[in-house]
Amino acid sequence: MEPIRPAPNTVPRAGADLDELLRLVARGDQVAFETVYDKVSAPVFGLIRRVLRDPAQSEEVAQEALLEVWRTAERFDPARGTAVAWVMTIAHRRAVDRVRAETAATDREARAAAIAPTGPTDEVAEAVESSLEAERVRRCMGGLSDLQRQSIQLAYYSGYTYPQVASVLGVALGTVKTRIRDGLKRLRDCLGVSW
Amino acid sequence: MLRRNPHALAGAYALDALTGAERARFTRHLAACATCPAEVRGLFATAAELGLAAAATPPPALKGRVLADVAALAGARAVDAEIAALLSAPDALVASGSTSAGGSATVVASLRAAAMVFTSTGLPALPPSSVYELWFIGGGGARPAGLVPRTAAPVLAPGLSGGDVIGVTVEPAGGSPAPTTTPIVVLTLPSPA
Repeated sequence: MEPIRPAPNTVPRAGADLDELLRLVARGDQVAFETVYDKVSAPVFGLIRRVLRDPAQSEEVAQEALLEVWRTAERFDPARGTAVAWVMTIAHRRAVDRVRAETAATDREARAAAIAPTGPTDEVAEAVESSLEAERVRRCMGGLSDLQRQSIQLAYYSGYTYPQVASVLGVALGTVKTRIRDGLKRLRDCLGVSW
Repeated sequence: MLRRNPHALAGAYALDALTGAERARFTRHLAACATCPAEVRGLFATAAELGLAAAATPPPALKGRVLADVAALAGARAVDAEIAALLSAPDALVASGSTSAGGSATVVASLRAAAMVFTSTGLPALPPSSVYELWFIGGGGARPAGLVPRTAAPVLAPGLSGGDVIGVTVEPAGGSPAPTTTPIVVLTLPSPA
């Protein structure tokens, strides 16, 4: 296995000025919100579609998530994380809420997804927009152990709780907890995430 | 002692993978833990990277829908603030009365703001072909002051002049430029103090 090295942070980001835009949005600035929309709608929609799969439902949930950004912008606190992370957290939570509200995919489907040639390549195949970003993530995911990678993918991209992940992968709860945490930390270091 | 180490949940927490009870437990731990917030921040930022990697352009129509919703919410927020401001205006004048159709109507008006808030309770529902319309009635006749929504939500009506009384009539859907029926109620504001 190749050693994991931090990747140079060369990908254009949704932007540091998203912080400032959110401050304007919090004051009711609709023009600023439109700029926020242009910056985050693709990541928000793409993530939600990855979790939900159904395009119509994904659009609906993306709409809800983006409205939540408008409604709750005043709660964004730069001290607690980046603006992008805040927006993506909202999007992910909305998607996960929807998945869990419906009777989630059966274990069988999930098992199939977990053993499928998962490679991270497969997982990011649709990520056309930010292919550089996707490529960095793909590369770093490739540096994780299988169990770390599968646990993270099932939890984040399929919206599974970690007990569900444990049951799907047939491993102990504690194992999943530590694999997710260790895996995320390795990803963090590999991606050179600043926070 | 993994089971006793709440730290171990940080990763699952950052991926929204905790169940309700554990989520609450971890949130409590987080508040009391000196090193956790930094770790959690980093893990959330990492999760966000996974999200960014999944980016996909949404259908173009989504933008119009989201922006329209935002405009509506902004409008409601602005109107709510104005209603609240008017209801607590120092010069607010209040008049209310029963209507000949049933139910009652109340206006709170501010001459300084040149506006009123109209509210009603128990007005009979109208067929879709009709609507309750509000009027400012002054020396020059009746001026349209807006339509009462079917939800009977408060109406903020600008354009009030000193000496106006407020009337309500039943009009064809969409409203009329001038009243076409007899008012079901006419409210006269008390004289300003």
